[in-house]
Amino acid sequence: MSTPQTAPTTSPRAARHTFGASMRWWADRLEPLIEWLIRICGWSAILFVFAIFCFVCREALPLIGRGFDFSEFLTSTEWRPSSVVRPQYGILAMLVGTVSVTTLAMLIAVPLGLGAAVYVSEFCQGRFREVLKIVIELLAAIPSVVWGFVGYMVIGPVLINTTGAAVGVNLLNGGLILALMSVPIIVSVGEDALKAVPDSYREAALALGASRWEIVYRVLFPAAKNGLLAAVLLGVGRAIGETMAVLMATGHAVQIPYSLLDPIRTLTATIASELGEAVAGDAHYRVLFLIGLVLFAVTFAVNLTADLVVKGIRHEHDR
Amino acid sequence: MSTTAEPRTIGEYYLARGSFKVAPRGPFADLDSVLRAAAEPELTDHDWRQPLEIVCVARGQAPAATRAMREFHLHATLRGDGGDGSELSPWWGLSSAVAGLSQMAAAGTLRLCAGQRIRLVHHEVFTPSRIERRRRIEETGAKYLFLGMTVVLVIPVVAVLSFLLWKAWPALSFSFVWENPQEFMKAGGIWAPLVGTFFLVFLSLLIAAPVGILAGVYLNEYARDNWLTRIVNLAVMNLAGVPSIVHALFGVGAFVLFAGMGRSLLAASCTLAVMTLPVIITSTREALASVPMSFREACWNMGATRWQTIRTIVLPNSISGILTGVILQVSRAAGETAPILFTGAVFFVPVADHGWESFFPYGLGDRCMALSMHLFTLATQVIGVSDEVQYGTAVVLIALVLAVNSLSIGLRMYLRSRKRW
Repeated sequence: MSTPQTAPTTSPRAARHTFGASMRWWADRLEPLIEWLIRICGWSAILFVFAIFCFVCREALPLIGRGFDFSEFLTSTEWRPSSVVRPQYGILAMLVGTVSVTTLAMLIAVPLGLGAAVYVSEFCQGRFREVLKIVIELLAAIPSVVWGFVGYMVIGPVLINTTGAAVGVNLLNGGLILALMSVPIIVSVGEDALKAVPDSYREAALALGASRWEIVYRVLFPAAKNGLLAAVLLGVGRAIGETMAVLMATGHAVQIPYSLLDPIRTLTATIASELGEAVAGDAHYRVLFLIGLVLFAVTFAVNLTADLVVKGIRHEHDR
Repeated sequence: MSTTAEPRTIGEYYLARGSFKVAPRGPFADLDSVLRAAAEPELTDHDWRQPLEIVCVARGQAPAATRAMREFHLHATLRGDGGDGSELSPWWGLSSAVAGLSQMAAAGTLRLCAGQRIRLVHHEVFTPSRIERRRRIEETGAKYLFLGMTVVLVIPVVAVLSFLLWKAWPALSFSFVWENPQEFMKAGGIWAPLVGTFFLVFLSLLIAAPVGILAGVYLNEYARDNWLTRIVNLAVMNLAGVPSIVHALFGVGAFVLFAGMGRSLLAASCTLAVMTLPVIITSTREALASVPMSFREACWNMGATRWQTIRTIVLPNSISGILTGVILQVSRAAGETAPILFTGAVFFVPVADHGWESFFPYGLGDRCMALSMHLFTLATQVIGVSDEVQYGTAVVLIALVLAVNSLSIGLRMYLRSRKRW
């Protein structure tokens, strides 16, 4: 109390003349508290992932005690959740639906997405490149419900007219929409992977007389294969988890598809369309949460693999 | 000098630089005299890029473009296949070429029939060889292949977007945005869902922004390179990868049921906030990482603590980058449908048509409408909605999201242009 005049800038009394100064004083005084707050927020991501797992489990796991048939759940194609006599919960058809629409989407999206990534990263310069990157970024921003709407209202009628399919909303429609949706992430992650290849690789190949095609094919692809794989995996993760677009564009029929023009239903679409009708605490309701758990596990595994693969490439280039 | 002339070679010779149609010289009686004329300095010093042509025409005819020709090369790589004298090319200049041709003519190995011509073409020294030409074709081919792949992606999107706009054009008006849905969604505008979307986005931003920014600060400023940080990074990435419908299930389980919020605006906003958290975290981390380490070191050397450095140096220098991420979060939250489907958004809520109430129609515990959900129900659940209204809703949603995104992109480009370090 005896030295406020000698050190005015550090004294609370002298600093608290204005509101801002007083706030700053408190901000510095509360440093330990704030640091803990920052730490907790930093760990919140772990908390949330864990919480998602726990809360979905909390709703799904009471099934275990009620004689729920897990082998039927995974191997049966019969999905009759609202049957009064004997409700059946077999998700095989929807599992096949998810896998088929994801595969189709990846067959379209992976070559195009990687090609576009190569073009943006290696063949294109200056302003045009900036414009392309912005377009691809905006492509990623279009909401999934709009994609679903496009599939339902625009592509569906076009498919009916061109292929003579009975319904326009089918596997092909969903595959096209999902391909367009998962391309931006493939392009941006793939481009990052190609950019991560050191320029010395390119220069060495050029000095040996390689053409740019040979550089891409013989040098960049092998060097960036982990990153490109991660790009594809992230695209797969996005395609598996997509909900609204496939809900609107794939036709909503629980069956195993035998042709491109068969309507299908995916796991995500099933949850989205039936959770509203299911009674909370009911077996049907819990089965939907169980499907959610399956989806969570699958996307978790895909993302984890992608992350490990990316880590791999980073270490390789650090050497 | 006389050439060893066969009967068929009797003809007149003309000489020209460039195109024959312009100003041919001649006629010359024989090959030797035309070659001598070609060796004159005024002709050899002429623009050397022009080819030199010697044409033989039947006597009395005008020189014209003729079909058969022999081509010799100046400064070129080996090209001729032999037999017609072109194996002797290249020559290192027009004068030496003409001298060489004169020797050949004198030896009788060079003959011209009527209608034939000799053409001396200039090539650059480093003219591509066959292998190099093939490579160049390959390279151009690869470039256009990849360009084609990019175009195949961009074109349909542009086409679809313009088609949507074209179909929606009749419906788009000021009143479409301003009015509430009427007659069971079949008429009127989209005011109620639009306000609902604004509320959802604003609330989720209010929840996600502080947590996300502080988490970004933690990851860039506090976290050491250890297993805990690895797990946090992994968790952020996985949180971004969890399907939106699983987020919806989490919202139902945690906020609606466990926390007892019920299906409400608050529960939906919380779900959206959890879902969009990774966007803010990653962009904050990147914005902070772009502040040079020397700034922090300078501040620490002044005796500032870690938090003081962050507050006075790091955050002010990266605030605009953080803002970019926040804007991205807004765009993401505005477009999402699945997470709010069961946590708070509903099909229809009566909303006051005008006045103060129409701007604040929803309380925290109320259910609300949302634009994305509105589009979904219009397209799939309601029968008899006119196409214009559906397309109009879609276009307003796209415009909203793209406008917010463009804002973020514009901000980022502006920042990059005036970056000082």
